[in-house]
Amino acid sequence: MDRVNPRNVLVVVAAVAGCVAPFVMGDLTFLMRMLLAAIVVTGLSLLMGYAGQASLGQGAFVAVGAVTVAVGTTRWGLPPLLVLVAAPIVAGAFAALVGVPLLRLRGHYLAFGTLALLLMVQTAMSTLDFLGGAFGISGIPAFGVGGSVFTDQRPYVLLALGLLALVLFVTHRIVDSRFGRGIRALAGSETAAESAGVPVMRGKLVIFALSAMYAGLAGGLSAFFTPYVSPDSFPALESFTYVIMAVVGGLGTLWGGVVGAVLVSTLLQVLNLVSSQPQLPPTLGPILQYATYGGLLVVALLFMPGGIVPTVQSAAARAVSRRGGAGRT
Amino acid sequence: MTELVAYLISGIALGSSFALIGSGLVVVHRVTRVVNFAQGSVAIVGGMTSATLLNGLLPHGLGEIAAVVLCGVLGVLVGLLAIGRRGTPPLISLIVTLGASMLVSAAIIWLWGQDPVTPPGLEGSVTVLGAEVERQRLLVVAATGVAFAALTLFFSRSYLGKGLTASASNPFAARMVGIDVRKMGLLAFGLAGILGGLAGVLIAPSNPLSFYSDLPLVLSGFAAAVFGGLTSPLRTLFGGLGLGVAGQLTAGYLNGSYQTEMALLLMLVIMIIRSRALVQEEVK
Amino acid sequence: MLRIDDLVVRYGSAVAVDGISFEVGAGEMVALVGPNGAGKSTLINAISGLVAPHSGTVACEGRIAQVPEGRQMFADMSVEDNLLLGGWSIRNRDLGEVYDLLPDLAGMRKRKAGRLSGGQQQMVAVGRALMARPDLLAIDELSLGLAPLVVAELAEHLRFLNRERGTAVLLVEQEVTLAFDVCPRALVLEAGRIIAAGPSVELAQSETVRKAYFGDLAVAETMTGATAPATTEVSP
Repeated sequence: MDRVNPRNVLVVVAAVAGCVAPFVMGDLTFLMRMLLAAIVVTGLSLLMGYAGQASLGQGAFVAVGAVTVAVGTTRWGLPPLLVLVAAPIVAGAFAALVGVPLLRLRGHYLAFGTLALLLMVQTAMSTLDFLGGAFGISGIPAFGVGGSVFTDQRPYVLLALGLLALVLFVTHRIVDSRFGRGIRALAGSETAAESAGVPVMRGKLVIFALSAMYAGLAGGLSAFFTPYVSPDSFPALESFTYVIMAVVGGLGTLWGGVVGAVLVSTLLQVLNLVSSQPQLPPTLGPILQYATYGGLLVVALLFMPGGIVPTVQSAAARAVSRRGGAGRT
Repeated sequence: MTELVAYLISGIALGSSFALIGSGLVVVHRVTRVVNFAQGSVAIVGGMTSATLLNGLLPHGLGEIAAVVLCGVLGVLVGLLAIGRRGTPPLISLIVTLGASMLVSAAIIWLWGQDPVTPPGLEGSVTVLGAEVERQRLLVVAATGVAFAALTLFFSRSYLGKGLTASASNPFAARMVGIDVRKMGLLAFGLAGILGGLAGVLIAPSNPLSFYSDLPLVLSGFAAAVFGGLTSPLRTLFGGLGLGVAGQLTAGYLNGSYQTEMALLLMLVIMIIRSRALVQEEVK
Repeated sequence: MLRIDDLVVRYGSAVAVDGISFEVGAGEMVALVGPNGAGKSTLINAISGLVAPHSGTVACEGRIAQVPEGRQMFADMSVEDNLLLGGWSIRNRDLGEVYDLLPDLAGMRKRKAGRLSGGQQQMVAVGRALMARPDLLAIDELSLGLAPLVVAELAEHLRFLNRERGTAVLLVEQEVTLAFDVCPRALVLEAGRIIAAGPSVELAQSETVRKAYFGDLAVAETMTGATAPATTEVSP
């Protein structure tokens, strides 16, 4: 019997929607931001869900990627394609380097440690003139390969879509590999994983570096899209937003990051439109933003601890099994 | 010399506030294993409420106390979110309190706006060892000393305090002798709210607070608490004082903008050096 | 005074206690013996209210206090504080009574409970339970990890308490000889069910009970030269 897996249908629908949207929407900034966030959150979800480690400072690696592009293009005049490829590599290497001491920490300590890392990266950016100093780096050229240069938003969005697909594919392959199955034991118990022969530290380091590579990739692309990089481009709140998206979508699921990024971004966009009505007080925007973030986190964690994707999946599985059971009798 | 004394005293005053916020984190962590990210936001509410109350509603003293009490209530509310639902793992509770701190931030912007707020404090200054010191800073140090003495007495002498210590020491045995460990957790959150509120009330006159201050406050408090392994209020006090003094010396002799980074760097170094011991304490 | 009716306790799909009924009279001493994983600790935790039963009832006229397996000290607190906390549920802060019953405790009251020897800790655990002025003392593994001499002393204390205060005792014990020695009546648990019950003297003689479970040693002692008995594996 040939049955269509509803999940595959959803994936196809999402892909088609993603490809059509750039051609029907007017301003693509929102879409671009959402895609970049989805790339970052896919990595964060991998780190939090599989390695069981929370990072409250994922923006640090986004910043490293963005700075790589900014410095590479404006200071050294390197070709855009080269620096875009270098962005995730530099971010991943940076994560591997700081990860050696940092990942000795766990739980709360690592959460605060990563947050401290983000703030220190910001300080480094604002004090070292080479990284832009307080004024940041502007004048980053448009992305392009060979003679063709990106002149409007659409090609950026399409590139981001392609990169998101690549990131999802890589994540899928890693999770399904032998390494991925071993690393999954980490979220449960490190001691158990260790006694089962999983190299705990190396495993955590690889996942940490990989999530940083995704963040660096998104940061690199964003530096081309918004051709200006400064310490203020990566506030802690944005890193918290990644955590919210990961939690809302569902930790340790392939599609959780994408679903979380789409839902949270859309919700914020709607709230933004509502609160920017001219007759409303200007503080309404931040109030709604904070209230939404806080409310989402609390509600999602307390009432849907697994996140949306697992909750929907298990609900669907239950529905299917109920139907199957009814058919058998 | 005079300069040094001034830096030391302002460092101790600053460190006192770190210690108050940090000891709130410790009190909660001991009993619930949760790190309360909303601790900084609660402190801000304390400072801002006292500013509102002291603006013609209540006299000095009463206004500050009322603000601190309100923070205790707020602490319990945060606790209800964080540990109200049974079986929430501590790391998830941390993220819930992150959510709670954002809700508090929304309330702060709603009630007080986005600009920094500062309540009136003690006016004038006195001369200590040749250095001019604001009286408000001395008040911060004195009040912190009293608060820590009271906290120590509460935990070691009072029956309720012993119940809290017991819940932290062995939750199973605590349940067995009839202690409601969840209620104790909420009490700890309330106590943390009071300590955070006190910190906010004390520092707001010399350091105006806005909703944006929550991150520096909770990070400094956490850094102080790390010195105490998230379990010892007394070592948190020393950690806070050390961080405060180191920060002021850095600001005074090197560069003011490195002050926070100095604290963060010290925190990271301590955490990484002690990571093995910290993990063991966490497991225990 | 304690009446258990068709009690069932489950952990997920595993049944730890499978329909147990028995009674303990006022001032009675009853032993609960059985191999590892027979459900003894679960039963005692259900009686103390620490584990919720799946079905059945636990009815008790009077207070129950537990001496838990592994002593479960408040390790970084003083002996005195440990005892005081024992009285938490009835707000009893009068230590005199316990010091009268267990005078050894008075001598170590300022010491940290975590620094004491196993036997001393067990004594503190008993004293802590007594602070709740219980009508029934539920003791989980009195002898575990303790030297025989220490155990004998503790057993003597239990008999004394029973005599002086009329405290009923439910003693969960792997050490069968000790259990039968202290308690006149006993229940034998296996795989969550009671497989034998009666006066300890009779149970000690009963060949079926001995064969069924009494551990290789006891059986080997009486059945020297015979073929090794088939021990039943009990999964928790």
